[in-house]
Amino acid sequence: MARIGVFVCHCGENISATVDCENVSERAAKLPGVVYSTDYKYMCSDPGQSKIKEAIIEHKLTGVVVSACSPRMHEPTFRKACAEAGLNPYLCEMANIREQCSWVHEKSETTTNKAFDLVRMLVEKVKNNHPLESIKVPVNKTAVVVGGGVAGIQTSLDIANAGHKVILVEREPSIGGHMSQLSETFPTLDCSQCILTPRMVEVAQHPNITLYTYSELEHTDGFIGNFNVRIRRKARSINEKLCTGCGLCCTKCPAKKIESEFEQGLAYRTAIYVPFPQAVPNKPVIDRVNCRYFQTGKCKVCQKLCPTGAVDFEQKDEIIEVKAGAIVLATGFEVKNTDFFPEYGFGKYKDVINGLQFERLASASGPTQGEIRRPSDGKIPEKIVFVACAGSRDVAKGIPYCSKICCMYTAKHAMLYKHKVHEGTPYVFYMDIRAAGKNYDEFTRRAIEEDGAKYIRGRVANIYEKNGKLIVKGADTLMNGRPVEIDADMVVLATAAVSCEGSESLAQKLHVSYDSYKFFAEAHPKLKPVETNTAGIYLAGACQAPKDIPESVAAASGAAAKVICLFAGSELTREPIVAKVNRMPPPIFSTCMGCGMCKEVCPYQAIDKEEIKNRNGETIKTIAKINPGLCQGCGICVSFCKSKSIDLEGYSNKQVYEEVLALLNS
Amino acid sequence: MIETAKKLLKNGDVNIVIGYSEGSQGRVRPFFARNEEEAENLVYDNRCTQNLAMYVSKKEISKYGKPAIVANIHTLRGIIRLAVENQIKDGDLIALHINDKDEMTVCSTLEEIETHLATVTPQISDEDKVMIEKLDAMSLTERRNFWEKEMENCIKCYACRQACPLCYCTQCTVEVNQPQWIPVEASIDGNLEWHIMRAMHLSGRCISCGQCGDACPVGIPIHLLPMKLSQEVKNIYGSISGMNRSEGCAMATYQPGDKENFIG
Repeated sequence: MARIGVFVCHCGENISATVDCENVSERAAKLPGVVYSTDYKYMCSDPGQSKIKEAIIEHKLTGVVVSACSPRMHEPTFRKACAEAGLNPYLCEMANIREQCSWVHEKSETTTNKAFDLVRMLVEKVKNNHPLESIKVPVNKTAVVVGGGVAGIQTSLDIANAGHKVILVEREPSIGGHMSQLSETFPTLDCSQCILTPRMVEVAQHPNITLYTYSELEHTDGFIGNFNVRIRRKARSINEKLCTGCGLCCTKCPAKKIESEFEQGLAYRTAIYVPFPQAVPNKPVIDRVNCRYFQTGKCKVCQKLCPTGAVDFEQKDEIIEVKAGAIVLATGFEVKNTDFFPEYGFGKYKDVINGLQFERLASASGPTQGEIRRPSDGKIPEKIVFVACAGSRDVAKGIPYCSKICCMYTAKHAMLYKHKVHEGTPYVFYMDIRAAGKNYDEFTRRAIEEDGAKYIRGRVANIYEKNGKLIVKGADTLMNGRPVEIDADMVVLATAAVSCEGSESLAQKLHVSYDSYKFFAEAHPKLKPVETNTAGIYLAGACQAPKDIPESVAAASGAAAKVICLFAGSELTREPIVAKVNRMPPPIFSTCMGCGMCKEVCPYQAIDKEEIKNRNGETIKTIAKINPGLCQGCGICVSFCKSKSIDLEGYSNKQVYEEVLALLNS
Repeated sequence: MIETAKKLLKNGDVNIVIGYSEGSQGRVRPFFARNEEEAENLVYDNRCTQNLAMYVSKKEISKYGKPAIVANIHTLRGIIRLAVENQIKDGDLIALHINDKDEMTVCSTLEEIETHLATVTPQISDEDKVMIEKLDAMSLTERRNFWEKEMENCIKCYACRQACPLCYCTQCTVEVNQPQWIPVEASIDGNLEWHIMRAMHLSGRCISCGQCGDACPVGIPIHLLPMKLSQEVKNIYGSISGMNRSEGCAMATYQPGDKENFIG
């Protein structure tokens, strides 16, 4: 017979203000199977927990219902208390009479009745609970970090410095990401490369970090602590072991008119190239689409010139299989730069550029050696119009969110322009100035008050060319919408930050959820900001949402901390809330028919086939088998199984059914 | 057909031939020929509409060994669907397919069946088409009233389940009593629950052979529910069940291109 104890918490006044806790406790005591019931001001306090422990021993309880707050808050507390008193922790359940009752209702008899109903449901459930043991899973202490921008670099270094192996995978030929393209950084105006490149070098030199550039994550399977990751190292056409990075090959390559990705199309590169001088690794790569040899079969100039014989036209993509315990996604973002703004003449007028292109113009290592010269004729512009929110916060453009970084970098651009071209005038069209952050508002004030950036609150309607000038038409909403027309020499659009190309398919490969803008979704917006809904996969940086450098780095360190916690023990303990296929004595063995539909429906690839064999090794029956290490307890297979052969431990059909019946039979 | 059946039995290619023979009152019945002599009783004509694929997964039949099965188009689709759901493997049976023109083809592999199915367009009868259109045209209340009226007659004999080639579970949801999902007695709510559950379990799987409706002793057009769901699955996901082993299960898989217009 069940011997259930009910413990009703007042939570100070959080519950008792609207629920008559004593009444709930008194009525609960009369429920069949309940042998002990009490109420107390703070059940989670030490004396409260002692009450539970003492009752378990004194009344020989076989199940405990704590009716208090959400199990999200204190379930571990009470389960641990039960375990200390010798009761299996999974025989303890919580009835949420705070978030789901006292907080959302007025003080009344009905509210008390509802609290009692919630208790009664859990009493019926706990009668059907049975002891469960937590699951131990071994942990492979290697982390795979996808993306080598500042977030990926930070995560890799933090994990590596904690003594764990890291495999850093970068799609481009060099690590560095967008930060390596920036000229100066807000709000301090320190040189971006000067602060980033030491970190890049540290990655290259770190004994715990294996760096795979020009590589992509191709496939993953497995589960937390035990992922199998397949990485495709794209053929670089260079033997990295032989190459010394002398750069001779790049100087003589005859294919010279290729738009440089790093320079955002503002300069050219050769077909064999190093993306930028501080690239890590400093080894060239052959762009096979533009290479004369790969296109026509004739050339091989670089190979002839190479003093070490490192150029290898025959090199093939290499597939590397690695085992890892955790994966960190740090794939970053992109800025919109296609035909997204026909009204602004983007793509039509050479002098309408985006913010990233302006960064390259302002950068000392850029195509103009840091002089602000417009792309069309190389003249120094006298007036530049900066347009903030180009695409962002624009429902009509399909991007209702704020790209977050534009207000700050636009102020920075206006400043940089003014610092370099003293007689120039920067105009900034903006919707609001969002400068929340340490020293951020001071920074934008400085742009306006000290550097004379002319801020106009309003949107730009259109931009067209007239007599060599770009006519920017807009409205000043602080002047009752007075029309504004500026004849600018150059226009910089702070185009919206969007998710990276390929992020959707990557998310699908990894079974990580993503939002409607293809940014990866965190497990909880507040309490699990760097975790994903797939255990063992974490997020760092702007692949989650637009983020500035400090935020990306903070998130990266946060993700690293999660990985380091995971790697702290040699095995990890998981809640035994997993699905199980039933087993029965022969000749049935299991009611599972092995139709395999659960295997298809499982979002975590946790289900496989299991063959039941007789003594001669012949297969008698094939049924489904659920890997408890992979199963996340979502229960989809349970609902999909036609023969009801799968049940979820801790939330079995029987338990939930009894819970619902208790309510219906009230 | 009889000659082929005899030859297959004689050569030991199969141990049993599942087909039809003359029954009582001018009807045909399923027949299981275990030797050449018994094979003499096999018949095939336009009365032979029962989908014999349901016998493939039955232990009472499989204990004899490898079967050959007299198959119409629905039988072939049933066989493929059973293969998709891991109930049979390639080489487990030989299908003796007889088409509308009474020509027989022997399919010894599932691939041969698939190749054959690739050339046909699955059709439902005009009568069923009319009924589905009629039901579609009804309002929600009218449709519910229609089904409630029909279900009143259900005696929960489960003949629909027995006739279905895809109801192969040894334990059906209706037999689970911990908890008791569906009431045992033939009551209006319990009847509705049973038939809704059956239709849901067949959604995206039903091969629209109509056997459940044919088997119903009280004449409920119960086959229209899974048939309609199959049409829906085809319209939404473009998937027709029982055509090819690569088809998977539309309701169990997610493709990035899947329509999600049914949400919200």
